[in-house]
Amino acid sequence: MDYSLKKELSLKKEQKEVGGKYSHFTPHMLPYLLILPAVMVILLLYLYPFLASFWKSFIGKEGIFSLSNYQKTLHLYRGDIIFTFGVTVFSTLIATFLSILLAVYLRLSKSWLAKQIGVLYRLPIFLPFVVVAQMMRSFLAPHGILNLFLAKLDLIDIENPLQFFNWIGLTFGFVWKEAPFMALIILAGFQMIDNTYIEAAKSVGARLPQIITKILIPMNKSNILVAVTLVFCSLVGCFSFPYMLIGGKTPGTITIDIAHRVNYFGDYGVANALGVFSYLMVSLLAIYYIRSMMKRGLYE
Amino acid sequence: MQKSWIIRTIEIIIFIIFLFFLFVPLFSTIIWSIALRWYWPYTFPQEIGFDYWLQALGIIKSLTLGAVNVVPAFILSLGIAIVVVLLTMGIAIPAGYALAKLRIPKLLKGLILILFLLPRAFPQQPVFINLMLMFNKIGLTGTVGGVILVHLVVSIVYAVWITTSTFSSIPPELEEAARSVGASRFKAFLKITLPLSAPGLIASAVFVFLTSMDEFTGTFFIGIPFVTTLPMTLYSASGSNIQFASVIAILLLIPSILFMIIIQKLLKAEYLGGMGG
Repeated sequence: MDYSLKKELSLKKEQKEVGGKYSHFTPHMLPYLLILPAVMVILLLYLYPFLASFWKSFIGKEGIFSLSNYQKTLHLYRGDIIFTFGVTVFSTLIATFLSILLAVYLRLSKSWLAKQIGVLYRLPIFLPFVVVAQMMRSFLAPHGILNLFLAKLDLIDIENPLQFFNWIGLTFGFVWKEAPFMALIILAGFQMIDNTYIEAAKSVGARLPQIITKILIPMNKSNILVAVTLVFCSLVGCFSFPYMLIGGKTPGTITIDIAHRVNYFGDYGVANALGVFSYLMVSLLAIYYIRSMMKRGLYE
Repeated sequence: MQKSWIIRTIEIIIFIIFLFFLFVPLFSTIIWSIALRWYWPYTFPQEIGFDYWLQALGIIKSLTLGAVNVVPAFILSLGIAIVVVLLTMGIAIPAGYALAKLRIPKLLKGLILILFLLPRAFPQQPVFINLMLMFNKIGLTGTVGGVILVHLVVSIVYAVWITTSTFSSIPPELEEAARSVGASRFKAFLKITLPLSAPGLIASAVFVFLTSMDEFTGTFFIGIPFVTTLPMTLYSASGSNIQFASVIAILLLIPSILFMIIIQKLLKAEYLGGMGG
């Protein structure tokens, strides 16, 4: 009580001081003034172009409202849209599966190996996708290290190396980069779960699969879902890696098509329609993510 | 006894597979950066040397290697990143402080929160192409200024989140105490809150720095062909010259690994996903 009174008093004092010089400026405005530049940056340089992609996608060559961009998009790129969705879902599923296994292992094992893995697995998180793309180009190339290794093990014919510059390489790179990030988030959740739960389950005869599916995963559901959402949404929008790995090949991803549309044809209508398809693809998870972050209170 | 031995073996096998897939892509890049001749299917290069490194760093100039001096691109990236850090932190620190410490109506706060979550949730590439159209009109496409602005958009969201949560973690009583003995709000902020939140703010600045150094998609649309940052040189080398591209890739990953080892403990896991989109 004493506190709020003091606050009130100091506020009044400040009001008087400042009010003398600039009568229209009150401390009540201070928060708004401080936020204004950040909000303006986002409104002008993010929200406006974001909304523009919706209405520009409905404007045809003649400059009037039409669905021609969507017709053209579906005609030319239907396969690529499905391909993008397929590869993203597949990569996210594999990354989720591997990251949960890794996080469970790191949560439960106390061995020396677990400790080493617990440090090393974070490496990909810090590498930008351009660097990952270059690494994968040399690792997965027809004459790359992976094929060399498989040939030395006699698993493939040396004259006939496997081709990875397609959905396989894309999935491999996505999982390589994102599974560690997911494991980091999921492990943080697992570490909040008290050991007593796990020991109680063990004492009534629960085995490892049951501990994972009945205790660890259900108690950490929200973290897992946030990790899945973040990864799915960033993979749908990922441009550099697909562009460098499979750019120019069919099928390609939506992001590659957008770049081609803009750079070779100057066709912003179809590029924006493709963009709207990528928005739609993430929309459900994006809304889930925004709602769950609002509930959680991001500011904590 | 028998069983634990089997588990131990499985653990070691999985560990080896894990190491192979985690590190061999990296080693492959390192070896390629020093491989002068490497014919398929030999396990090791026939001839190694630092020629591509020396060429990329501008120490030797040979016309046969097909690599260019990347020092100017590196300096440009560094310069852009420093300006982006100053600009972003100059905007994010006041905003973070206001969101964490000052009274803002709940509805407005919610709207701002949504606004700052959107860029993380939806693909950004369509935004960049419309930004390119906007910048075309005012002559910002292909300029360093345009690239700085696009890096600002990409990093401001993370910067505001991190500064807000940093300021929220400082107990308000400390600043109140300073003010009760007569310090102005600004002085209390300068003497109490700012020093206490320094680790979080530094982490945020480093994060912004790396985001700018590694930024690809925005620079690709806004900067090309006139603004060649380090990621852009990597992109153009990637299809044609594997040795040269490997050198640039390693140059790009050194700061990432170095800085993130230092600051990762200071950041929440979720922010790290924003690295290098």
